[in-house]
Amino acid sequence: MMFPPRWLDKLLLWLIAPHLREEVLGDLHERYALRVERLGERKARRRYWRDAMAYMRPRFIKRQPSLYTSPSITDMLRNYLKIAFRTLSRNRLYTALNVAGLTFGITCFLLIGLYLFDELTFDQQHSKATRIYRAIQHKKTPVEDLTIAASSYKVSEESKQRIGEIENSARINRTGRANLTNPENKNSFQETIAFGSPGLLEMFDFEAIDGDSKSALNEPNSIIIVEDLAQRLFSTTQVVGKTVDFEFGLGRALKITAVLKNHPRNSSFDFNAIVSEATISHDEEFTAWTSDWDSQNFLTFFLLKDKANPDVAARKITNLLHANSKREPGTSISYSLQPLADIHLHSETIVDGARNGNVEAMSQGVLLYIKIFALIALFVLLTACINYMNLATARAANRSKEIGVRKASGAFQSHLIYQFLTESMVVTTLSFLLAVLLVNVLLPAFNTFTNKELSLDFHTDYRIWALSGLALVTTGLLSGSYPAFLLSRFSPLLLLKNFKLQNKGDWSFRKGLVVFQFTISVVMMVATIVLFQQVRYVNNKNLGFNKDLLVVVDINSGKVRSSAETIKAEFSNIPTVKSVAVTSRVPGEWKIIPTVKIRPEGNTSDHQTAYLIGADENFAKTFEVQLVNGRNFAGMSDSTSVLLNETAAKMLGITEASSQVVDIPSRSMGGSYRPLNEANKPFKTRVVGIVKDFHFQSLREKIAPMVLAYQRNPVHNIDYFTARIEGRDIPATLARMGDVLTQIDQTHLLEYHFLDEQLARFYAEDRRRETLLIWVALATIFIACLGLFGLATYAAEQRIKEIGVRKVLGASVLNLTALLSKDFLKLVLIANGLAFPLAWWATSRWLQEFAYHIEVEWWVFVVAGILALTIALATVCYQAIKAALTNPVKSLRSE
Amino acid sequence: MRRSDLGEFEEVVLLAVAVLTPKAYSVMIAEELERETGQTVSTGAVHAALQRLEQKGYLSSVLGEATAERGGRRKRIFTITALGGRVLSEVQAVRTRLWDRIIPNVRLEWS
Repeated sequence: MMFPPRWLDKLLLWLIAPHLREEVLGDLHERYALRVERLGERKARRRYWRDAMAYMRPRFIKRQPSLYTSPSITDMLRNYLKIAFRTLSRNRLYTALNVAGLTFGITCFLLIGLYLFDELTFDQQHSKATRIYRAIQHKKTPVEDLTIAASSYKVSEESKQRIGEIENSARINRTGRANLTNPENKNSFQETIAFGSPGLLEMFDFEAIDGDSKSALNEPNSIIIVEDLAQRLFSTTQVVGKTVDFEFGLGRALKITAVLKNHPRNSSFDFNAIVSEATISHDEEFTAWTSDWDSQNFLTFFLLKDKANPDVAARKITNLLHANSKREPGTSISYSLQPLADIHLHSETIVDGARNGNVEAMSQGVLLYIKIFALIALFVLLTACINYMNLATARAANRSKEIGVRKASGAFQSHLIYQFLTESMVVTTLSFLLAVLLVNVLLPAFNTFTNKELSLDFHTDYRIWALSGLALVTTGLLSGSYPAFLLSRFSPLLLLKNFKLQNKGDWSFRKGLVVFQFTISVVMMVATIVLFQQVRYVNNKNLGFNKDLLVVVDINSGKVRSSAETIKAEFSNIPTVKSVAVTSRVPGEWKIIPTVKIRPEGNTSDHQTAYLIGADENFAKTFEVQLVNGRNFAGMSDSTSVLLNETAAKMLGITEASSQVVDIPSRSMGGSYRPLNEANKPFKTRVVGIVKDFHFQSLREKIAPMVLAYQRNPVHNIDYFTARIEGRDIPATLARMGDVLTQIDQTHLLEYHFLDEQLARFYAEDRRRETLLIWVALATIFIACLGLFGLATYAAEQRIKEIGVRKVLGASVLNLTALLSKDFLKLVLIANGLAFPLAWWATSRWLQEFAYHIEVEWWVFVVAGILALTIALATVCYQAIKAALTNPVKSLRSE
Repeated sequence: MRRSDLGEFEEVVLLAVAVLTPKAYSVMIAEELERETGQTVSTGAVHAALQRLEQKGYLSSVLGEATAERGGRRKRIFTITALGGRVLSEVQAVRTRLWDRIIPNVRLEWS
């Protein structure tokens, strides 16, 4: 290696003031040479380092003031800004088109972005969120394969004691629903009965507005409620110390120990009230649970210690379980830990455990749609950027003189690039500000529609602003870069010699961009139409029963349940009620429908699985379900008879119902299968009839085997009355039904649903997506049209002389319009050609999600294509006709 | 002329310039001082002192010729100005006067 090393010299050259560089380096090198002679190379080197260091002092680094002050960076920037504003205000139309396009694009982007941000930051409001995990049990037996978010009492309690990684644990157990009453004013509401361990409040940061938010669940007979429920019960939120009655057979009042703030919308927790676990810890049923290692009764969260590995902790939990509980052969159970942040979007395959069949599951997001919407948001923004690129490059010819003069008087390419980038940044910033305003105008409506509480103001999470800022800069650079690099490339000589910037590559690039824009637009249109059709299809599909005018009334007390026959009779006496049935679940059920193991008697093969609903003899009549074979239930004597649906009959190999005996040994309420009774004696039933298949689940699911047992069956209690009513005077009918119930049980509230509305909820998210897609599709098409309008205006301007000459030579307005429009229409046609297969593929993929769905028909494409063409034609025609109508004298008069 | 205007190192460098004229430039001065004092003297330190002296008007400089070992770079040759010469002789006069006033047998005790 040569000494002194080059980099050291470079460093010195860079550090030392220009006017000293020569002598300093010379001195250093000369001295080095002298020392090599005198002391040898090694010493000389060491000295050289020290000498070099000696020059690194302010005296040598400080620059000499120059005679001519060099302009600071801001001077040039100010100039760029000034020119940008001048150019933009001189071309008002194009500026307006650009700003409008970008504003719409950014607005869509921000709205979708806010939505996605909210979905992606679920459950992160807790300060220990990164250390909180949900216990997931994986159970495999020969008959089932279950992944459930639940654990037993022992697992949750002992893990905390014995596993080093675990700092704390929290449990929730939900057993059903009951009336929660304020004893003073008798205000009463149906609430979920949930028991929580003290760890729940220690681990999560639920903010209390009254009472202590950390220790409120320590004592027995305490209850915490949320603000909203407090307001409903007491009309105030300062209610700590007051008592409430929770009517689930406790027989004593519960003291309110804390009032929590309402849950934020991006929290998976939705409880209104939690009773301390200590309240029931001495109850017989509960003590059975506390000694059990295998149950799935508790939704369990673990708080790990700092830097603890969740996989290791999960393995230790599994080992702990294995050490303490025997497993049947062929069964495997293991635990895994799911991070709190994953619960909302990554729980599709996980059963929400620790919930009674009477309680709704935690709400969940769908990752697929998050991805789709993210993609759409980007596409819309990209469309807006393309507009800017197109207009800027198209109009470059007008600025060729300016660029030429700038170059001739010494501007570097970089200066021109900065100039154009500044312009695009100015336009984008302006659009961004407008978009923020527009977003704030639209947010109230958007929030009602998405059922969220989004905001974009000074209180918004800084990450949102940071990301928006990033989007702003990226948009500005992206839209400005192509024109900037393209336009700054040309030689000044060509530019000043009246050179037309319309070179071929440029024009085809622009064409490509327009095609891209319209491809996206057409795909979105097709998607919207298909989504719309599918939603309409599921709403109108013949479900195998008549869903209209069915009122479902919940049975919420033992008294009502035992008097079901009386109530049925009373309901039937109301003149507007046509017929009444009692069932354990209803078709279109939103709670868990139990499944049972089933096998014809004498058959030794594996059991099969079917859903089970308890029903009565009025079921078929009330729901208008068709009986295809055998007979209906006859009455109380039929308590061991069952009806099968066609699918179940096929599964069991039954073609004619003739009292075949079928065994039902066990059932599941979403968790593991458990025997029906202690003695493990199967429920022996006789198949008396077969009903036509009907859709008792959402149309996403295929019709599954279904057993209709008689109302008094050992599997599942009756839970609903369903009444078919007449369409007239529904409020009066409901009022009379309410009266009937209160006669039997004074505290019973009439809780009812119209079945068709309940069914529509299955598709509520689809409808929401449909609306969102319609708006985004409209925005995309609008933005694309703005761009097209700009290009058409420009093309007409460019060809004004040609049009003049053609007109003089006798071309008609129609000729000229066609001349100007056909270029653009060709592009839209190409876009259609690209969009159709893409849209077909995407929509077919989506429809696969539904077991019952429409086929994508050809006319959808035709409609979308024609729509795109018409819109594009209307946009272009305006300019084309305007150009064609101009008096040729005007355009040809002067050169 | 205040005494503080001339630091000790500056004084030595100024003297060295006077000694080495007309070939006084930082490398030569540094080498000379090393030889005389037996301590390492970096060109950087010398250069800095030279600049200070030039600012004060005790030295003037011109760029000299380039040599091969300097990598073709020119050197800056320093010459002492009249003011510089006067300051030097003043400093010397002060010292001589003080030296002369030391009683002879005191001096003997040290050597």
